[in-house]
Amino acid sequence: MTCKKKLARNQKDTNDDMINLVDNLNQEDDLKYNRRAFLKTAVGTSVALGVATIPFSVKAMLGIAEKNYERVEIAKLADLPQGDSVTFYYPTDKDPALLIHTVNGDLKAYNSACTHLMCPVFYEKTQDVLLCPCHAGYFDVNNGHPKAGPPQRELPLIEIEVDKGIVYAVGRQYRHG
Amino acid sequence: MGKKTCWGIIIATIIINVIMVQWTVEAYYGREYKSILIYSGVSIVSAFIALLVFLQWRKVEYK
Ligand code: FES
Repeated sequence: MTCKKKLARNQKDTNDDMINLVDNLNQEDDLKYNRRAFLKTAVGTSVALGVATIPFSVKAMLGIAEKNYERVEIAKLADLPQGDSVTFYYPTDKDPALLIHTVNGDLKAYNSACTHLMCPVFYEKTQDVLLCPCHAGYFDVNNGHPKAGPPQRELPLIEIEVDKGIVYAVGRQYRHG
Repeated sequence: MGKKTCWGIIIATIIINVIMVQWTVEAYYGREYKSILIYSGVSIVSAFIALLVFLQWRKVEYK
């Protein structure tokens, strides 16, 4: 062992790497990133998550709860042959909706903003499904529940009533079987 | 209460809160106002517990 490096570390006040191993320890980091700091962050996370739900409950308490629904005329049944659909707005002008006369002769109505990213959904009569062209989302026309593609929630159901050949919208449900 | 227990409880509150935030958002989309209040309430209580347990942990840790 006559290599110079080896000898160097036996000398007084040497700068040899093997002696100054503690250099790779950073005292500041040691004080910053430790078990205590981790626990504090964990508590902070927990509290932040809890606080994040407050806006939702405030909104719920302020009652974005919907008011009473009006009865609104949508279309004459005679103008809507089987396999056809018509767009209307319910309950406000900002809520596009679709009344569908399915190929089986049922009447169905849903808000037509896709529950994925709000693209308009349309009735595809050859397959008897509701189709969102944006990302190929499919909804069951019989209950408005998503069948395939990205949407996870059902389309809001519009309650309808047929009176003397005229179809009326009378209410809306967000969660429905 | 020992330090280990404190750690356990705090981690548990994080898990609970993550789930509650998810449920709250879903209830919000479904316009289920009652559930929003319940989930959000649970979440806030659990955050509060996390805080209290943290104070307790601090007492033991820095004694
Ligand atoms: S917006 Fe309808 S599938 Fe994405």
